Amino acid sequence: MILYLGRRLLGVVGVLIAIAAVTFTIFYVLPSDPAAAACGKSCSAERLEAIRAHMGLDQPLWRQFGDFVTGIFTGRTMGSGPYALHCGFPCLGYSYENSQGVWDLLMDRLPVSASLALGAAVIWLLLGLSAGVVAALRKDSLTDRALMIGAVAAASLPVYFTSVMLIYGLIRVAGLLPYPQYVPLGSDPLSWASNLLLPWLALAILYAAMYARQSRSSMIETMAEPYIRTARAKGLPRRTVVVKHGLRAGMTPILTIFGMDLGGLLAGAVITESIFGLPGIGRLFYGALSTGDQPVILGVTLLAATFIVVANLAVDLLYAVVDPRVRY
Amino acid sequence: MNKRTSISLAAALMATLTLAVSGCSGGSGSTGQDRNGGRNPATGTNGTTVGGTPTKGGTLTVLSNQDFTHLDPARNWVMGDMGFGVRMLYRTLVTYKAQPGAQGGELIPDLAEDLGVSSNGAKTWTFKLKKGLKYEDGTPITAADVKYNVERSFSPDLPGGPDYAARYLAGAEGYQGPAQGKHLDSIKTPDDHTIVFELRRPFAEFPYATVLPTFAPVPKARDKGPQYDNRPFSSGPYKIERYDRDKQLVLVRNPHWDAKTDSVRKAYPDKVVVTMGLKANQIDDRLVASSGTDASSVPWAKLRTESTPKVLTKADVRARLLAESSNCVEMVQMHTGRAPFDNVKVRQAVQYALDREAVMTASGGPALNELASALMPGTLFGGKQPDTLKIPATGDPAKAKQLLKEAGKPDGFATSITVSNGDKGVGEAIQQSLGRAGIKVTIETVDASAFYDTIGDTKNRTDLVYTGWCPDYPSGSTFLPFVFDGRYIKEKGNSGNHSLFRDQPTMKRMDEIAAMTDAQQANEAWRQLDGQILAQAPTAPTVVERMPLLVGTNIAGAYGHTSFGGQIDYATVGLKDPAKSGR
Repeated sequence: MILYLGRRLLGVVGVLIAIAAVTFTIFYVLPSDPAAAACGKSCSAERLEAIRAHMGLDQPLWRQFGDFVTGIFTGRTMGSGPYALHCGFPCLGYSYENSQGVWDLLMDRLPVSASLALGAAVIWLLLGLSAGVVAALRKDSLTDRALMIGAVAAASLPVYFTSVMLIYGLIRVAGLLPYPQYVPLGSDPLSWASNLLLPWLALAILYAAMYARQSRSSMIETMAEPYIRTARAKGLPRRTVVVKHGLRAGMTPILTIFGMDLGGLLAGAVITESIFGLPGIGRLFYGALSTGDQPVILGVTLLAATFIVVANLAVDLLYAVVDPRVRY
Repeated sequence: MNKRTSISLAAALMATLTLAVSGCSGGSGSTGQDRNGGRNPATGTNGTTVGGTPTKGGTLTVLSNQDFTHLDPARNWVMGDMGFGVRMLYRTLVTYKAQPGAQGGELIPDLAEDLGVSSNGAKTWTFKLKKGLKYEDGTPITAADVKYNVERSFSPDLPGGPDYAARYLAGAEGYQGPAQGKHLDSIKTPDDHTIVFELRRPFAEFPYATVLPTFAPVPKARDKGPQYDNRPFSSGPYKIERYDRDKQLVLVRNPHWDAKTDSVRKAYPDKVVVTMGLKANQIDDRLVASSGTDASSVPWAKLRTESTPKVLTKADVRARLLAESSNCVEMVQMHTGRAPFDNVKVRQAVQYALDREAVMTASGGPALNELASALMPGTLFGGKQPDTLKIPATGDPAKAKQLLKEAGKPDGFATSITVSNGDKGVGEAIQQSLGRAGIKVTIETVDASAFYDTIGDTKNRTDLVYTGWCPDYPSGSTFLPFVFDGRYIKEKGNSGNHSLFRDQPTMKRMDEIAAMTDAQQANEAWRQLDGQILAQAPTAPTVVERMPLLVGTNIAGAYGHTSFGGQIDYATVGLKDPAKSGR
């Protein structure tokens, strides 16, 4: 188990360095010039060179990448003279746009994205799994049909459509809720929840529909297994058969996609955050993309990759808990 | 000023909004009803103040879809951001009057006692600072602090700011800022209240340059290099309480700012909150409804084209709309160094074939634009652009065909135009109108973030590009030389002169005008030169953009300031009833 974990963690680091290298190379070969963008209009060639040197962009690719990777582990000093800044571990550099530390920016935005992702996950798991299980147990009944038609409909609604509809219906027409504005959980839990309610719903509707369909088919398959028949034959109560034997085994594929989904969302739901004006990592990423803020793009990419890789690892470890047949 | 920043922001919005809004706006074809009338429904509030005189107190909210590019005075060079910075946080040697309309282009002393005294044939400029000026901590503002910030603006660590100091100060070549303990000898501060600038050539308009945030004071002890951008130290009526980049900026009163030393800023609200990162369509809807604290709010970005019907159709809402000219003139710029556009007749044919009315409709209609008939915006002509060519607004295809015939192209020709992805509709309007004269145009749409790099590559770019220019201050010297001086052309990263116009008599005349010491005479000369360049048709001007801003019902003292790109003048805006602003 320990050996397995060690091997996997090493793999995680390898994957992250590879992703950083690819992202870095893409920026390096792209024609855009961050120094020119920073310099602004009517920039003299001489000043452009000075700015490029101060941004470290005059160095060869391997050197820039080497500095970046070592900086993550040991920190590094950026700039020179009285303006020099020490960027401590884990140093991801400074934003070209607003000179803020990329790590600080990410940590500042993470609570927003995490609030959004976790809250939505609770809703979609509750809705999706219960709908899926009910539909599976009443296979081919009217309830099943209704639930699955609803799920197909909900899954076909893109999040930007649901978001706009929710804003239009609940805020503009009915006036039930204010325009969302992020309030930290610590400062006021109630307004944290009421402000996040719409974004949660917008995101959860889509995922709940997919999870309902997934868990339905998974449950149908599991409930047809011989061991379920055995359990029934032993005279176990229906509740125990469904929850303890059926649901537990049927959840394995759901767990896999849940790990990926949650990992991806923790690093920002770009569209949802943008539409609801939530200052999360997704909006940070979107802003960085449109201004070509490479350190931030790289930072978000790495954070997102970390979440997905780590979520995958966590899922694999959880298999052992869910499915007794799995051993490491 | 380059349009890079505003365009990339607009396009960034556009990208999400096309996804977000198509579902519920239902506002397409919004501008059609105004086409034939020709009158501008938005000019009702032009040059006037909305909401009367404000009452002191309360919280003014600014609803914004973006963060400021730079609030560090050495780096602040985006029109609206400059207006906000110099009205709220830092004072400059000289500033613009806080007046609506053309008077907003007039200068008034700010930190200085007068508009500067020139000697040595406008090569030496001396400013005397007022007495009793203080920073937010009560320490005195000195001439050395102004000098220090001008020096900072040369630092490669602090890029992005205006480069007028670099272009005019003597001995500034190769200077890299004060970080290594090096200082500019051409700025002298004989005492705490006197600052003298030595220029390398005569510059009669130097006081206009001293309006720029480069000429605001920064005390050396407070300078934190690039981090200063996140917390500029105040010499103005407000100081920063907190600034969460891209989220919120909260300003509170600077108790050490003395109204008696300041004849410009009224500082009505007690507190100013800028909420950032909101969706533009939601800002528009909130301001139309104007309920709760939204009534005490003003927008940062301009009203979206899609939202105009919601505003123009209701008289009470329309009365709250500001629409000052942004002074940005859009143009179809032709590659004069390449066939067939090296032929003046071909270029004139484009001017005649162009349907400016259609371009205006595609740009949002007459509420958001006015037709352009000259190169420089109206403010540089003292109010209104002249119409020297007298081409009908919808173009004259017959005349265009005749010009093409004279140029030896009776059957027309094929060419292509590059437009930013936000201007796709404009591209189509140009394509259709030039098609009437037999010029077949292919449209190349480029993402806004890559637009200036693409059109700045003079070898590989298309024959035509669609872009504009906005003057830094109301003088022809910040317009015509940037757009039509052949000596500014760069093979890569070219900006401004996208027609690659290189005409010896024009350049000679520009130098002559720049050397004039009488500003009035110089202005008149720029105006004449404008017409002479237009006759050679390096570009075809299409529209002058407006800055439509819808303010809340509790807002008073609001007008678009003509010298800050039509952005609200933050020196005078306030609330009718501070008690209603909440918080």
